[in-house]
Amino acid sequence: MNVLKINDTEKKFESDLPATLDRLLEQLNVNAETVVAEVDGRIIERSEFDKTKLHSGQTIELIRFVPGG
Amino acid sequence: MDSLKIADKVFKSRLLVGTGKFADCRIMAEALEACGTEIVTVALRRVDIENKDDDMLSAIDREKYLLLPNTSGARTADEAVRLSRLARAATGINWVKLEVTPDPNYLLPDPIETLKAAEILVKDGFVVLPYINADPILAKKLEDAGTATVMPLASPIGSNQGLKTRAALEIIIEQANVPVVVDAGLGLPSHAADAMEMGADAVLVNTAIATADDPVKMAEAFKLAVQAGRMAYNSRPAAAGKKAIASSPLTGFLTDM
Repeated sequence: MNVLKINDTEKKFESDLPATLDRLLEQLNVNAETVVAEVDGRIIERSEFDKTKLHSGQTIELIRFVPGG
Repeated sequence: MDSLKIADKVFKSRLLVGTGKFADCRIMAEALEACGTEIVTVALRRVDIENKDDDMLSAIDREKYLLLPNTSGARTADEAVRLSRLARAATGINWVKLEVTPDPNYLLPDPIETLKAAEILVKDGFVVLPYINADPILAKKLEDAGTATVMPLASPIGSNQGLKTRAALEIIIEQANVPVVVDAGLGLPSHAADAMEMGADAVLVNTAIATADDPVKMAEAFKLAVQAGRMAYNSRPAAAGKKAIASSPLTGFLTDM
């Protein structure tokens, strides 16, 4: 089984992993325009989302702007 | 009003506004409009992938406002640097409100970690606006490190206590060669006007606007207060004295006739 650790929560995929980061966001219903991502501690520029291939066991942080002072 | 220059950008408004604590995004958008601000702060947090309504900031017009990401939540220089780099990846802009607040009760900024983070971020090409306690020596050291402003606190974040650090703020303003933005604790428009009369270059307000019963009206009140305070400062106020000095003529009294 394929597993990704997304924002500290393990997410299991019965079938194949989404091939790339932008596909993952699509599956999660997260608007890629407002998100910044880290894969295994490395910041991924938004323009690289569709080129970033995913592999089982990776740690992904999805972060966005929220209201704040 | 004379304009405010931070790094290479020029602003008409001297009021920076935080986007936290508004009841909903419609009120937030109206309040931002009413106060005429051009710089709004935002925070960075993990996406709640279970919550589809998580995206509150889509209401902010990015053409109209410069988004100033903060590093709130950072307790060390390393965490603040990481958040800053994430924010830059997200916005494509390199401005950051640097805050390192390890103390959960008073949210006071850590001066040593803040200076450390500022040095790293300036070298990395960031325009750094550091949130600090009202410490004139620290303000100087940050300026020397190349920060674009200093942002000393008036009183603890969200406390609405006003200018508790007045004496130290006066020294910071007197010595600074970068804009001084008084941040945190301004609870009323009169506090903001007071800071501007002292010679602060700008103020940053969030809680006092966002949690007022009518945030839109309060936003406008802060706008007017900041304008009035700046205008008064530029008019070079008359000196204060202990004794009365009559405003009316001291000759030609009716009793003299």
